[in-house]
Amino acid sequence: MEPVILDKFSVKIAANEVIRYLENGKRASSGQIKRFQGVLDLSLDRAGVLVRPRGIYVIAPGKSLPGSSLFRELERMAFCVCTIGPALEKEVKRLMDRDQLLEAVILDAAGSVAAEAVASHIDGIFKEQAAAEGLKTSCRASPGYGDWDVGEQKSLFALLPAGRIGVELSPSCMMIPRKSISFAVHIDRNPVRLRSENSCENCDLDICPFRITDR
Amino acid sequence: MIEHLKKCAQAVLEGDDRQAEKLARLTLDKDYPLLEVIDKGFVKGIREVGRLWEEGTLFLPELVMGAEAMKKAMAILQPALESGGHEQTKAGLVVIGTIEGDIHDIGKTLVATMLSANGFGILDLGADVPVQRFVDEAEGKKADCIAISALLTTTMPGQKKVIEELDRRSLRDRIKVIVGGAPCDEKWALDIGADGYAGDAVAAVALAGRVIGG
Ligand code: B12
Repeated sequence: MEPVILDKFSVKIAANEVIRYLENGKRASSGQIKRFQGVLDLSLDRAGVLVRPRGIYVIAPGKSLPGSSLFRELERMAFCVCTIGPALEKEVKRLMDRDQLLEAVILDAAGSVAAEAVASHIDGIFKEQAAAEGLKTSCRASPGYGDWDVGEQKSLFALLPAGRIGVELSPSCMMIPRKSISFAVHIDRNPVRLRSENSCENCDLDICPFRITDR
Repeated sequence: MIEHLKKCAQAVLEGDDRQAEKLARLTLDKDYPLLEVIDKGFVKGIREVGRLWEEGTLFLPELVMGAEAMKKAMAILQPALESGGHEQTKAGLVVIGTIEGDIHDIGKTLVATMLSANGFGILDLGADVPVQRFVDEAEGKKADCIAISALLTTTMPGQKKVIEELDRRSLRDRIKVIVGGAPCDEKWALDIGADGYAGDAVAAVALAGRVIGG
């Protein structure tokens, strides 16, 4: 299958998720949040303008992932790289250079939330497509999480021409722009649990910043 | 005077940078004893900020604002300190950066800001910093410590290379190394022979103080 590019969609950046990234073990009180409401609103507006969601994916057998043995047995997988583009992190850098660290930190968190929202949007498309055929999708797995080594980003990028959506992989396996996510899901009547033990779906740590799926 | 010291501490604690600047200027205008105002006023404030952070009472925006208020006040007081012939109250010079191949820098910048707010001299090399550059700068500027950030397991090995390079140049006894970033931990620091690891910017201040202090 030819890679598919998605670039005509938008995502919502939820304020409460941005706040979650800024919390420190405990929930921030409404008084604490109120003090920063101004910067927070401004950052969300800024982010709304700066985020340009794009994704590229293929639906392919697990064994088509070059040099990887992880999904070999699985018949149908979706492999995806997605991003919010470079503009937001440029603005974060500019803010840091001007010593506006507070604004920088909040905008950066908004960018992380946006990146997650992009991944989750595309994941939703896979779910819908699967459902139309009476199938389901597994939860998202990403290189660098659980048993999937971050070094295998190379395999994913060999399979997906992510350059077409402006995402490059550095020799150290870091995606540029920074606010990018790569992931895979298994599509099947009975999808496997790709990250079995530590699947977010089974975990009730609501405020964990590592959480990548809803419960 | 006691009232003034309280206000200075309070301004930092509340992250009120304008008030902190105002009080710093007032300190100079009224010719209050500089070291005392810094130590028993502003520094007390930033220590309290750190304590409340560790306790979980403050969240990140409050920590950042406290540190920024401290920096603003010190920017006004530092020149007066130096021209007044006072011993510079620097806790040590730290060269900081994110390792080569790694472009994330918000965490590193938070650490740099907290260190600076707590009296450390900071040379921030930015992100994607080559191993040689860490060591060149630290050697050239006679730094006490190198602080290296890494975000991914694939970029962490660079931290080890900095230590090897220090060894190669026989600088390891003089220059301490601390590491941090999401995938690092105590064990990693131990494995690569670093002097320590810290999990956040406040812990980094205590760590830097400890390793530089001896
Ligand atoms: C937000 C986030 C993202 C966001 C934004 C990333 C970014 N950097 O902008 C998004 C969603 C885009 C993302 C993507 C990915 N992520 Co991510 N992400 C995180 C998360 C949840 C928080 C990182 C963060 O921004 N923290 C906030 C900043 C302020 O904190 P910080 O940089 O860690 O710095 C603090 C401390 O570490 C410390 N510190 C930092 N430097 C130093 C230096 C010294 C000397 C000291 C003493 C202390 C210190 O003090 C700082 C301030 O308190 C972490 C998990 C976690 N809880 O840390 C995973 C995490 C970093 N991500 C991870 C992974 C795997 C990825 C991806 C590879 C997944 C994928 N395949 O798509 C990609 C890679 C992106 C890329 N560009 O290549 C892994 C990395 C593990 C590994 N194997 O290397 C982590 C650790 C999650 C995990 N549990 O596995 N990620």
